[in-house]
Amino acid sequence: MQKKNIYTLVLLLLLTITTAFISNNFDQLKIAIIIILTLSGIKFLTVVFQFMELNRAHQFWKVLIIGFLSLFIGIISILL
Amino acid sequence: MQSTEINYKNIYYPPGGILMWILIFLELITFGAALIVLVINSKDDPEIFHQSRLTLNASFGAINTVFLLTSGFFMATTVHQIKINNLQKASFYLNLTMLGGLLFLLLKGLEYYLKIDAGYTIGYNTFYTFYWLLTGFHVIHVIVGLVILLFMQSGINKSKALIEDVEASAAFWHMCDLIWLLLFPVIYLIL
Repeated sequence: MQKKNIYTLVLLLLLTITTAFISNNFDQLKIAIIIILTLSGIKFLTVVFQFMELNRAHQFWKVLIIGFLSLFIGIISILL
Repeated sequence: MQSTEINYKNIYYPPGGILMWILIFLELITFGAALIVLVINSKDDPEIFHQSRLTLNASFGAINTVFLLTSGFFMATTVHQIKINNLQKASFYLNLTMLGGLLFLLLKGLEYYLKIDAGYTIGYNTFYTFYWLLTGFHVIHVIVGLVILLFMQSGINKSKALIEDVEASAAFWHMCDLIWLLLFPVIYLIL
């Protein structure tokens, strides 16, 4: 549990650095925007399932949170 | 520490409690909708929004993300320590959790000070109206979260906290992470 959380934190920090790097070097490219949003989505789900332990919850909550995130990223990606 | 066996697989008992998860979804939908409206508004004048976004310090945003994520890690560790009834360690990790929140507020305060000093106030343009409202409301959530954690610390010290309350408090704190994980890329990185 504790080891898994440490790996999770390292992954989250690496993803944060990666998104900042992509934003600095590929400003306003459509593909860069989609990659940044996808990586941010992965961070979001990692926090939800690992730190908030939603992986132990009923399927309903998992579907709801994944549905919300997909809708959010989908709408933002289409609009930009 | 008082604890009862919770069946998390039951639809009515997600970790943190059903009411907390209803609140989390309402908050996520509210912030998510506001961010979508921000992006729709940016279509009217993309150049102004882009130039305004470039005046933000993305490094501050990234460091604040690190503070919140690390704080979230310590929060998860605190809950784990409480579940194995190691209250001394739980109290220590909870202090580290709150330190992460305080560092976030400190850096946010510096960022706000620099923005006001440069004249980028809430009425500067539409981008900055969204910036101040969205990040401001998020800061309020972090402050409320810190107050909840202070009560939680007091409960742990007196060995009076229920595991349900601890999980609900932790879920609220993680919600601050989640909101920030939506705000950071849209406001600081992609417009």
